[in-house]
Amino acid sequence: MQTKIELFSQLLRELEADIGTRDLSDLVFVALIESIKSLDVKDSKKFSAEFSKLVDIVTHTEPKFGILNYYLTNLHWEFEQNICTKDVDDKKWKRMAINKINAILKSMRKHKKKLFHHAEKINVEGKTILIHDHSHTVQDALRYYRGQGKHFRVVIAEQDYEKTHDNIECLHAARIPFQVVPAYMISHVMESIDMVFFGALTLKDTMHFVMSPGTHGVITEFHAEKVPIYAFFDTCKFSLWKSKKRGEIFIHKHTRSHYAKPIEYERIKYSHDRVPINLFKKIVTDKGVFSPAELEKLYKKTFDEYEKIRKKH
Amino acid sequence: MLTYITIGIFLLAFSLLVFELFDKSLIALFGALLMIIVGILSPEEAIEAIDFDTILLLLAMMILVNIAAKSGIFAWLNIKIAALTKGNPLALFFFFSLITAIFSAFLDNVTTIILVVPLTIELLRGMGRDPKPYIFAEILFSNIGGALTLIGDPPNIIIGGATGFSFLDFVSNLWIPISMVAVFTMFVFVLLNWKKLKPISASLVDLCIANILIKKIRHKFLKKTMHRDFILKVIAVLFLTIMGFFLQQQIGLPTYIIAFTAAIVLALLTAKRVNIHEAFQSVEWTTLFFFAGLFIMVGGVEKTGMLEQLSHWVANSTNNIFYLSLIVLWVSGFVSMVLDNIPFVTIMIPVIIGIQAQFPGYDTTILWWALSLGACLGGNGTLIGASANVVAADMAKKEGVHISFLSYMKFSFPLTIGMLLLCSAYLFIRVG
Repeated sequence: MQTKIELFSQLLRELEADIGTRDLSDLVFVALIESIKSLDVKDSKKFSAEFSKLVDIVTHTEPKFGILNYYLTNLHWEFEQNICTKDVDDKKWKRMAINKINAILKSMRKHKKKLFHHAEKINVEGKTILIHDHSHTVQDALRYYRGQGKHFRVVIAEQDYEKTHDNIECLHAARIPFQVVPAYMISHVMESIDMVFFGALTLKDTMHFVMSPGTHGVITEFHAEKVPIYAFFDTCKFSLWKSKKRGEIFIHKHTRSHYAKPIEYERIKYSHDRVPINLFKKIVTDKGVFSPAELEKLYKKTFDEYEKIRKKH
Repeated sequence: MLTYITIGIFLLAFSLLVFELFDKSLIALFGALLMIIVGILSPEEAIEAIDFDTILLLLAMMILVNIAAKSGIFAWLNIKIAALTKGNPLALFFFFSLITAIFSAFLDNVTTIILVVPLTIELLRGMGRDPKPYIFAEILFSNIGGALTLIGDPPNIIIGGATGFSFLDFVSNLWIPISMVAVFTMFVFVLLNWKKLKPISASLVDLCIANILIKKIRHKFLKKTMHRDFILKVIAVLFLTIMGFFLQQQIGLPTYIIAFTAAIVLALLTAKRVNIHEAFQSVEWTTLFFFAGLFIMVGGVEKTGMLEQLSHWVANSTNNIFYLSLIVLWVSGFVSMVLDNIPFVTIMIPVIIGIQAQFPGYDTTILWWALSLGACLGGNGTLIGASANVVAADMAKKEGVHISFLSYMKFSFPLTIGMLLLCSAYLFIRVG
């Protein structure tokens, strides 16, 4: 049987592949509210111990989900400071905990609005934009541009069947003109592409974005051709932990058979790519539009601040 | 000599089934072919031995359920169950066990299993839990629920046909032992699987996993477009099918005709949305071939006269009605564990009528209830004891959950013995 960490990792990985990191975080927090409501624990200290277990598991998943780690760890500290120290009944501390989580949900939604506000600095009018992963932040940004009356077209570099179809569905619903091209054929459309948009799961302290599989190749190709590449990224996805291993890449091995011959072979699939941030021209965040060097500074500043809080706890 | 050869072939096939050296359909077909090749059965007798009613019912239900599943109605039901139980393993266990028992009391056991098992596997697997204990429980409760009513299990249909007992006669005479057996099974099950079933309401991690999973399933489901007309057609046809099974005696048509009518009508009504080639391909042909082979082998055993000898031994063993009812119960229970209970019950009917004739003026109806309880509940003992068991194991295998003969038996056999002991106590109280 799977361990709780493996189970959580698999569940979050599948959800992330399906709905993207931001919506995943939203879903996890809504689920957390429902779980707290059903939790049969009367004592706030026991609740804190239960929450600690949850944080321990979520912060050790593979890959790590920066946004979840950040908010859940913060929540844990808040609970320890503000809930467990007070002598209140379970209804009251449950309500307090749920209010805190609702505040996080609100703040996450605010971040999204701020990111779109900064996205306006990127001129997309009349441009052809290539997308590859199925980042919901990128999808939302494209919808936002369309809502602002901008005219542009999108080329989807094909990848996993379901992710490609998710992009198709989104663009079709937003009435954004699009074409689809296999990712291994993008060299043929290179000249017609004006800019490339990507989303990311997290940013590691090694200054690598953790992104959808296949993105590294696509980004490298466009970087070599000097086509501007933009990442749309919420700063609360910063992974504020020291990277110890390449554990965030999940490797899935399975045996496949040749379609016509009696040949069996091992097929390896990777869950994510690690992409150095210096391959990007700009990174659009909720705190502004940054160059890779500026983002690195912002990351270090945030990391140091967080480290201080961590030591305090 | 032929008797020994027949027993030899049957024991060989049974051993191969127990140790799962080959796919069970191959073993059953090979055993059946051996019976014909060595001359125990002629090809014509072999064909006659196949219970086409059961095979055609299975075939029709597989097609019907496959078409119905394409409407998304079962996925919808899955979400509702998950939301209702909030992913609580114990609540899920009770819910699935009870729903299986209730469904199989009014529906064919196999149909119930075809409806319930895929839902269980999808839900439990998604929660990172082992679906096996739940499937075991569903197998047991399909047979327990089926034993309650006249239409729940084929032995009861045969007994009802021979005696003229009504639907209410079955329920009023069997509800006490069936309730006792159901409570006992639930209790033992929960006790043995407490680690896997204990409530998760005190664990935030488990609650969180369950809630995330429920949301994941809901999202996955809502992404697919559901067609109202398709769902309405499925609900209407399923409802009419259940009503058809319920009123089968009044309609006067065999169950497989009702199921086939439903499958074909639904296929016609949903022809634009369902590829009938795919629906036919989804039929579990290995299960059907296994049954065909098994029926032929049982036909061979029947031809040797062994079952008749057994029934005579039962009739001549004692003059005490209580002891007789115990013998009927336990013999039919053990026979049902390894052989199809339909031919055994068929053979036992004239025997019990004969015994009744020996006791004029005495209430000997208890023998019929002993036969019904033994034949229906005995089927729980092994994985090949009842059609529902085989179908459940095959469906689980298709979904990647392997249920071996021995892993099921080491759990089900002692439980079945417990069930038969409870029924013995009931018979003692009734006769006493």
